Amino acid sequence: MSKIKTSSTAEYFSKNLQQVGFSSPLKAVLTTLKEAVDNSLDACEDSGILPHIKINISKIGKGSSRNTDLIKIKIEDNGPGLSVQDLPAVFGEYLASSKFGKGQCSRGQQGIGISAATTWAQLTNATGVCVESKTKNMQQAVSMVIDVDIKNNKGLVKKKTSIKWNKKKHGLKASFVIDGRVQLNGDGGLITYLEGTSLVNPHLELDYTLLENDPVSVKRVSDVIPKVPPPTLPHPHTMKLGEFITYSHLYGKISLSKFLKTGFSRISDATIKEISKKNKIKSSLLNLSLPKLLDSDFKKVFEALQEATLMNPQTNSVLIIGEKALEQSIHRIGDVDFFSVVTRKPRICDFKPVVIEVAMARLNDTKGKDENSLQLLRFANRVPLQFDKSSCALTKAVESVNWKAYGLQQSKNSVPSGPYVLAISMTSPFIKFKNASKETVDASEELVEEIRKALIQTGQKLGRYIRKEKKEFDLERKIQHIEKFAPILVNALVKITKAPIKRKKKAELGLMKILGRDAKNAEAELTQAKEKLK
Amino acid sequence: MAKLKSVFKMNHAQKDVGKLAHALCDTMLKDLEGAKRPTLEAVKCSLDNAIYNSKVGFFTPGDKRVKTELNVSSVQKMARSVFLLDIFLENLKAGGVNTKREVYYRAKGWIKKDPKLRPIDFEVQEESDSIISFLCDALEVYREELNCVANDRGGQTYSQQLIVTENLPDGTKAHIDLGSLGTTPFQPKNRPQSFSLKMKSKIKFCLVVESEGTANTLVTNGITKRNNCIVVGAQGVPSNGVRGWVKTIQDQLKIPVFFFGDLDAYTLQNIYRTLKSGSAASLIRNKNFCAPDVKFLGVLPEDVKKYDLDCYSVKEKDASEARSLKKARDALQNDPFFKDAKNKKLSQVLKWLLKNKIRCEQQALFSVDPKDITVPEKIILDKIKNKIYI
Repeated sequence: MSKIKTSSTAEYFSKNLQQVGFSSPLKAVLTTLKEAVDNSLDACEDSGILPHIKINISKIGKGSSRNTDLIKIKIEDNGPGLSVQDLPAVFGEYLASSKFGKGQCSRGQQGIGISAATTWAQLTNATGVCVESKTKNMQQAVSMVIDVDIKNNKGLVKKKTSIKWNKKKHGLKASFVIDGRVQLNGDGGLITYLEGTSLVNPHLELDYTLLENDPVSVKRVSDVIPKVPPPTLPHPHTMKLGEFITYSHLYGKISLSKFLKTGFSRISDATIKEISKKNKIKSSLLNLSLPKLLDSDFKKVFEALQEATLMNPQTNSVLIIGEKALEQSIHRIGDVDFFSVVTRKPRICDFKPVVIEVAMARLNDTKGKDENSLQLLRFANRVPLQFDKSSCALTKAVESVNWKAYGLQQSKNSVPSGPYVLAISMTSPFIKFKNASKETVDASEELVEEIRKALIQTGQKLGRYIRKEKKEFDLERKIQHIEKFAPILVNALVKITKAPIKRKKKAELGLMKILGRDAKNAEAELTQAKEKLK
Repeated sequence: MAKLKSVFKMNHAQKDVGKLAHALCDTMLKDLEGAKRPTLEAVKCSLDNAIYNSKVGFFTPGDKRVKTELNVSSVQKMARSVFLLDIFLENLKAGGVNTKREVYYRAKGWIKKDPKLRPIDFEVQEESDSIISFLCDALEVYREELNCVANDRGGQTYSQQLIVTENLPDGTKAHIDLGSLGTTPFQPKNRPQSFSLKMKSKIKFCLVVESEGTANTLVTNGITKRNNCIVVGAQGVPSNGVRGWVKTIQDQLKIPVFFFGDLDAYTLQNIYRTLKSGSAASLIRNKNFCAPDVKFLGVLPEDVKKYDLDCYSVKEKDASEARSLKKARDALQNDPFFKDAKNKKLSQVLKWLLKNKIRCEQQALFSVDPKDITVPEKIILDKIKNKIYI
């Protein structure tokens, strides 16, 4: 029998990087960028800083793996910076996170992503990440190369030096050199990602240069830094038995009743009293320290909680971008001639607080993209989701709406078509993703229905606009008709009847009166449509 | 007003198109002078306005009218109508004729010359065609009365006994002895009422064959040599010309007329019914463009059994066949022709087709005795002799 050995978390992920978004050279570039930008944005928000991120992605040679290029990805932010001690933990250690299991609407959740990016750089180019960082308390910035110590799941620091930053008081620069390939447009494209990120982050100022393209500068449209609501505790009804037991391990040696009260939302003394009475749970068990509980005890309590009628969790833990901010931001994605934004009130879906926001825009210029295909942008906690579209809850909701009723073209049970951008943002402290790389939101009936409602509201606004447009077109057409056809009709009638000029003039006047009345009616209809739109 | 020369002489008193057009336009002009919306009215030519009376024998129009009142949406249609009417009146003055396609190009020619007319330009011929139909319905005249003639299609006729005299527009007459044409058919123009027919010797019957190819085969194999008859190839759905020509044969020669075609819903509904009672789309023309006495010789369901004819199954999965079945069901419920008691036997054939979901082609008769190329002729003659027809 072969010997059983234990592996470190880093060892596991280094062999399974495909699970966290590094399944192909194309995805590797996007995921590295995404993880670095997510971290920068979260850090800025935590410290109350308006983020300004600079990105430069360049091809510097041929990759060591087959069919790859050597890609350099540089990301610089104006965030608070990381201390010398924190840098190796953040970039080189898996599951080292300030947010793990916190129940907050932050982008990062587990502390895996950026360490995985370092691992990919290390595996493909034999060097981890080059980092420069400066906090406001540091005299000089620090520069170092960080590798992942795969065997021990630790960050290894190399080439550490102090450097002088001229003007910048704090911030972080990270530079990855990896084997990869660059895709700019389309569902998995870098531009799609950056446009999406700027859409849901109106307070972000972004400068980027991608390969040989001209530098792009996206100015911020809001000076309001989103305040991430304080963390919320999980609701007992969202857990499975195994999760429940594992979760208890985080609480050490406290009693069961204290664990229930402090570890979950919506469990009070009264609730504990009620369920213990109903399920004959002895007070001795409730007072027992967690490590002393048997699995059968956990099962009994867990089942009792599942049977109990508990209040829904509070909804104040979700972060809302807001209709105003979305309205301002939507103009950054292109020349928009119509837009509609909807922010739903926070709701409870599957016992988790959720808020759905939708922004829909019709583009005047699709910039070389297929003008007949609608661009669907999906966001979870303000992070673009760019892969595995078809099984995502957000896509399923789009497909379930009858867009034809709002004037769009749509094949049966599919995403509508046309020169539109449809962005759906879902924020929740507990988003259930289908995989660790956070590409697809699991589709529960309740969640799909909530998204569908937001989409219908958006569609109704769009429908009103399209109807108004149609009325405008009608009026224009009617006025054109008068000018174009009236003289031809009168001339032909006069010719056939050989009528004198006097009759001709009288008929022309009569015709103008008749058609003028029609135009007035059309104008009145248009005014009515405009009123409705308001 | 100059005398208008229509090349089309109708059996009924010819309408003075010039006077009609002048009166119509004068009324419209007067309405405009008074800031009143002028209207153009026409008979509604559709099945829901078609009346079928077996005593009359063809579809006649009901009371429904299509009224086009001038408004911003209809001003283009009205301007186009009056513009095309002017072209027709000029044509009638000069005695010229045109097909619909030629009218389309003539209209485009005028529009090219006069930039003010550009807004009423026709993008495709269908646009001018619909205006022509509307004008005919509004004036209640045949298209031919506006000197707008259809392309000749179908009606290839063979006979050893028939002599046709054609009254030409210039007043002269042409005499055609069909017996002198060999196997070359005589093709009547789309103005069949300008023909006078004579028989060299008594003609016993006229056979209208759905397929022009099969009609030609029957003649080549000697049907017209062995029998005093007329054979006409319909070439699918009979055109105005074919319908008018068969009516002329029926009325002038007073001989029995038989139709021989496929046994399927399409032939019964679209080909035979149109030949016998006209169409809903041309309600005002049916009087002169159908032959109500024509009989359906086959292929009949009993022929399939008697001669063991090869059939095709009609598959509902096939979109066009499914449509044809649906149309047949609709016809049984809504078509006054098939609902009429006198046509009960025909509707029973339709029901039989729907039930059995098969179709049999006229050419299947050639399978009865492959050694004998005259077998279809023998079967046809036998059916006529034994009155096996509807």
